[in-house]
Amino acid sequence: MNDEQMRLSKDVVSEGFGLIAAAGYINNEGGQAIADAATELIDGGCGTLLIDLEGTRIINSIGVSILLEIMEKLLEDKGQLAFCNLTPTISKTFEIMGLVQYATVFPDRDTARSELMGNASV
Amino acid sequence: MDVVLHLPVVPNVELVAAKAVETVGGALGMHQTGIEAASVAIVEACLNAMEHGGGQMVIRMSSENPEGKSCLVIEVEDQGEGFDPAEAPRNSASRVHGCTSKRGWGLTLIRELMDEVQIRSNPGQTLVRMRKYVESAP
Repeated sequence: MNDEQMRLSKDVVSEGFGLIAAAGYINNEGGQAIADAATELIDGGCGTLLIDLEGTRIINSIGVSILLEIMEKLLEDKGQLAFCNLTPTISKTFEIMGLVQYATVFPDRDTARSELMGNASV
Repeated sequence: MDVVLHLPVVPNVELVAAKAVETVGGALGMHQTGIEAASVAIVEACLNAMEHGGGQMVIRMSSENPEGKSCLVIEVEDQGEGFDPAEAPRNSASRVHGCTSKRGWGLTLIRELMDEVQIRSNPGQTLVRMRKYVESAP
């Protein structure tokens, strides 16, 4: 189960644009770790957040519900949430739970960065 | 190939069940996407059993060949108070934004990610039986 331990990093890519890379099990703890990182970036002025889930293969509905709360916090501030490197099952789970209605999904980080950089307040 | 697991209610024990799905599904020749879908479904079934089941849960995995189509069969059984499956929440993506409670997605995910789902529930026993076909569409 150690492979599923959440490994997370966060970075301000450019002004207004934050990146979180998360690999591991997105359960209540993993989801909260992502939410905490997102809150720090949002409070630091990032209105656009990209969450890269390369290395994440298993999630649960409690973890995704915490990601939904990040989405709502960003939407309240007129921000934007995006994901990249989703497995087909995670993508389908996000679709079922309504996350992709309000977030953008990109195939990989490079595509996401090039698309989002124009939207961030740079 | 039959696998039976008796799992206690301890943090992240659902990952033991998911790992077993990965092993058994792989042995059956399932595509990785099908294995991952079945893994999320069993995780949700285990979380429900842990939350409502009141103690140890039993997981069974086997293979069947209905009409010549190979499939992985997963059963998750608990000894909780039971519930009426017809009254269980069927969540929809349209009600997410602005909704105070974001819980209760387990059965919806199970039904969407697996090919067939049967739920039998009575006081003292709930059994969720799921099938995922080896050649299932992603």
